[in-house]
Amino acid sequence: MTRRERAIRSARRGTVITGLALLGLTGVYIRALVYTPVERLQGLAQKIFYVHAPAAWAGLLAFAVTGLLSLLYLITRDRKFDLVASSSAEVGVAFSVVMLTTGPLWGKPVWGTWWTWDARLTSTLFIFLLFVGYLVLRGAFNDFEIRARFSAVLGVMALALVPFIHVTVYWFRTLHPEPVLLKPERPSLPGAMLTTLLISIGVFTALFIGFLLMRHALTVLRDIREEETVDANA
Amino acid sequence: MQMPDNGGYMVAAYVIAAVVVLAYAVSLVYRLAKFKDQ
Repeated sequence: MTRRERAIRSARRGTVITGLALLGLTGVYIRALVYTPVERLQGLAQKIFYVHAPAAWAGLLAFAVTGLLSLLYLITRDRKFDLVASSSAEVGVAFSVVMLTTGPLWGKPVWGTWWTWDARLTSTLFIFLLFVGYLVLRGAFNDFEIRARFSAVLGVMALALVPFIHVTVYWFRTLHPEPVLLKPERPSLPGAMLTTLLISIGVFTALFIGFLLMRHALTVLRDIREEETVDANA
Repeated sequence: MQMPDNGGYMVAAYVIAAVVVLAYAVSLVYRLAKFKDQ
């Protein structure tokens, strides 16, 4: 099987997973809006949590994948690590848009403000802008080696921000609530709310996998075209 | 104690999340279709 055929097969798999995950997202919406109880103090705005937190999880997962594969690229100089890393970065930016738009929509009715420049929100905005810069940087170079090396360095540096964002709510004074899942103690959510959150995290993880497969296939197809253009000009 | 009336924020967040996710999925399908045709 040629590289192009493998990419097209991967794109098909990604499309199927994305389609199923989108159906799952419809299920999450129905479960969150109809079958999950309303939190008494925050009201309906609390339900934003079921899309905001999973989008944040998927975004940071995507950035962590980019950072780790960038590190592997710098060690091995294997082209395939760079192609997956760059694909994951774009997917992470898409999820971060969801996180950064739904967050203020939750903050305004609950905190009384759309935004505050505390450590959690500022570092999250910063990692988003870093990866937008990462994508712009990749577009600025035609040479594969230079593009891959420069963006890999940026990806590795940004990787340090992922755990930092997680601990900001413990280290700094912030309006942002502490994690309800990723902490040493038991999850601090009632059963029905926790189930909805876990289902949503599963669906967003499936969306991440589907998007990554499709985006990676696109990156590989572009890479094949670039190689063909170089060969034709040689 | 009366529950706060803030359902509009929830609706806006759910609509925006759906629009962003769907738009990105469509953009991937569109870009892949363009490349596959070439």
